[in-house]
Amino acid sequence: MNAVLEFNNIVRAYKRNVPVLNGVTFSVNGGEVVGLLGRNGAGKTTLIRIAMGMLHPDAGSVQVFGVSPTARAVEVKQRIGFVAEDQVLPGASSIGELIAFHRHLFPSWDEQLQRQILHRFSLDCRTRIRMLSKGQARQVALLCAVCHRPELLILDEPAAGLDPAARREFLEVSIQLLNREGTTILFSSHYMNDVERIGGRVILLADGRVRLDSDLDRLRESFCVAMVPRASAQSVEAIRRIPGCVGARLVFENWHGVFHDAPEAVEAQLKKLLGANGIRCVRVPLEELFVELVGREQDREG
Amino acid sequence: MQLIVNPADELPIYRQIMRQVSEALAVRRLKPGDKLPSHRDLAEQLVVAPLTVKKAYDELEMLGFLETQRGRGTFVCGKLPRVRLADRREQIDVSARKLLSQAYLAGLDFDGVIKILRDAERELTQGLSATSSASTKEKL
Repeated sequence: MNAVLEFNNIVRAYKRNVPVLNGVTFSVNGGEVVGLLGRNGAGKTTLIRIAMGMLHPDAGSVQVFGVSPTARAVEVKQRIGFVAEDQVLPGASSIGELIAFHRHLFPSWDEQLQRQILHRFSLDCRTRIRMLSKGQARQVALLCAVCHRPELLILDEPAAGLDPAARREFLEVSIQLLNREGTTILFSSHYMNDVERIGGRVILLADGRVRLDSDLDRLRESFCVAMVPRASAQSVEAIRRIPGCVGARLVFENWHGVFHDAPEAVEAQLKKLLGANGIRCVRVPLEELFVELVGREQDREG
Repeated sequence: MQLIVNPADELPIYRQIMRQVSEALAVRRLKPGDKLPSHRDLAEQLVVAPLTVKKAYDELEMLGFLETQRGRGTFVCGKLPRVRLADRREQIDVSARKLLSQAYLAGLDFDGVIKILRDAERELTQGLSATSSASTKEKL
């Protein structure tokens, strides 16, 4: 399969010697749905802006559809749909005017799809943008991002600030697009339930790098969290040195370690190593894994 | 066929779909020859990625429960694979002991457990998912 999006050793700092991204490498194939995860400040938006050609990396290279998004800016943008985290739409214009503007920019504009989405979101073309609720403004932004039938859809925190019903509608439209067009989607989100619903693969950014890159189902099935009594290990390092451990932290009187193996195997291994009673290993939903992997800052310093 | 998925469940979503389809087969709410919705339709209905539904269908097909007829759709196999009791006996025994101990710890007696089993059977046959309470929580 051809890579639609390719990041190659991307480095980017806003302050000298404080890189937000410090060697990020991954690629996204056609038809994939990738959830980009990470704490606030982990560099998700920076990475997305680099993909959009809105920021230059300090080092490394990015290719979209096999070309540079800054060198072939117009060509690349015509094939991408993008909704920014803080998308600003012109308040004084009407929805209809905004749509007309986009239709003019994108030769492949699909008027039937536009009508469908307007109808689905119950939007009226005559409404001024500034009269819209936050959720409606997001819906308009999504409409503008998808009606030229992009091959790649990039959504930066699409659900931020939306109520659960609006979030669900947003997901429904995304899934219809996936179904119909096989659109490749890269989206960042803090809503792990949304990621589980539409994501096929998750990429976790932490400390400027890709901390985890995995098929979502495999991630759910092949990782577990082990809870070990504090007295059983000297330090967080002792837990981290155990083979298969990808992260550990202290939670009250227990060490919590994330291990790359089935719970039964990890439990047997830990019992042999630490000889302790009271070790428990469980499979956990993505949200728990996320918290365990990028949990409290001070625990990760170690 | 009414399915419910809950992203916050311990099971990945494709496993949740597989489990509910096999539950429906177990109580013959789904019968040999029944047509299932296309994976794309079910994906839109459940609001999950189409590939996730495809994966559940593929796995069920590999287990011999479903078959895809080119251009016609996905169906329940005419002849379902017989699961040998001997292969499952141990698992069922473990589940039974777990059920009893949990119920006894919660203060139920044996008749109370029987009642719970009857309720569960009714829910399965009527197609009310056991995960429905959990997913209502998720929607809020």
